[in-house]
Amino acid sequence: MSEQDQFRELIEAYALGALDASERTALEAHLAAGCPECTKALEEARWLVSHLAYLAPPAEPSEFLKARLMRTVRAEEGVARRPAARSSGPSIPYWLWAGVAALLFLSIYSTWDARKLQKEVQDVNARAAAELEKREQLEQELTEAKHEAWILTDPSTKKIDIMPSDKEMPKLEAMWHPELGIYITGQKMPMPKGNKVLQLWLIPKAPGGKPMPSHTFWPDANGKIGEMVDDPPEVMAQTKALAITEEPAGGSPQPTSTPMWVGGVS
Amino acid sequence: MTSKYGDGASSDATLVDRLLHKDVGAFEELYDRHSRIVYALVVRILQQAPTAEEVVQDVFLQLWRNAAQYQAARGPFVPWLLTLARNRALDHLRLKSEKQRRREDQTEELPAISQAPEYEKALDERRRAERVRTLIGTLSAPQKKAIEMAYFEGLSHSEIANALQEPLGTVKSWIRNGLLRLKEGLQTAS
Repeated sequence: MSEQDQFRELIEAYALGALDASERTALEAHLAAGCPECTKALEEARWLVSHLAYLAPPAEPSEFLKARLMRTVRAEEGVARRPAARSSGPSIPYWLWAGVAALLFLSIYSTWDARKLQKEVQDVNARAAAELEKREQLEQELTEAKHEAWILTDPSTKKIDIMPSDKEMPKLEAMWHPELGIYITGQKMPMPKGNKVLQLWLIPKAPGGKPMPSHTFWPDANGKIGEMVDDPPEVMAQTKALAITEEPAGGSPQPTSTPMWVGGVS
Repeated sequence: MTSKYGDGASSDATLVDRLLHKDVGAFEELYDRHSRIVYALVVRILQQAPTAEEVVQDVFLQLWRNAAQYQAARGPFVPWLLTLARNRALDHLRLKSEKQRRREDQTEELPAISQAPEYEKALDERRRAERVRTLIGTLSAPQKKAIEMAYFEGLSHSEIANALQEPLGTVKSWIRNGLLRLKEGLQTAS
């Protein structure tokens, strides 16, 4: 008997599970080597062996077994189908999706448009504020100009020459109106040195009266002065002279230096 | 082609295919068709009805949960199902520890069973059962006993020889010859 025949004789017993360990191991190695004849015979032997189940005495499982099984199966079927049912359920109509998309687009556009409009409003407000500020400044300048013009042209205005103590310095001029105030002008004025400013003082007529502090000012870049004092601390009739000193920035309550310019009022 | 379950009845393979889509109706149909032979086999091996029902339940639940394990191209359904049930019952019989029993929950690829020979197609299940009993009934009592010990108790040649107090070679011949006679009988029945 050939080795092939020996293996072939073991096939049915192998399918039955009756081979002892040594024979089983040898046959499995032979099958693993890919013998087509034994492989086919084994498949047929398994089919044959399965028929032995019919030798079992007839028996029937209880109804409880079927009930238990069906209960379990139906429960698992529900779990298995639920996600599918969700996905295969009534779908949202396309027109509704289109509506949602349109609303979304409109919402985005509205937000963008609102922000754009808000930015434009902010720009317009900023420009308006700038224009208003400019206008107010012009109005202020106009008011001052009218004020100056009124002082300069009114017959009740008294002209006061304010002469420098240093002859190298230019002369200043003050126009004092009894009600509108004092307007001081000058040309080619040197800029105070250091952190100093020019300060106006009203020298009272009363004996022993202390100089009354007034405005602080300084010339512009061109050396020009045009300072308006619309609320002089003293009335003109009680003032003997106007004086200008150099004082620290912010001014002083009383003069800290000798007057650089002095002009008699009356 | 006319189904062995009558005109209009689905084939086992078709029902198993429906199981892949979690068709409860297909599962119930398969259970009604084959639960009796499966239960008879398992209770014969285990000799205890409650335990047998437990194993049968596991077999059908495995079928429900892992229907894809059965491939119609590799053989007919009933031998596949009976092989599955026998393996489960013998496992239960041999392996008592809970850990080993958990194997039932694992997916298992059963060995291929032959494409049904032509003569298999000629017999329906009831006739085939009667034919098997008749053919085995023609064997000698020790020969029949040896085959039953191997099939229902999962014993090896040596274990059977020891149990029957017969030579090992004799037991081997009894079993092989008995199976060949069964095969020939099924072939001639066609």
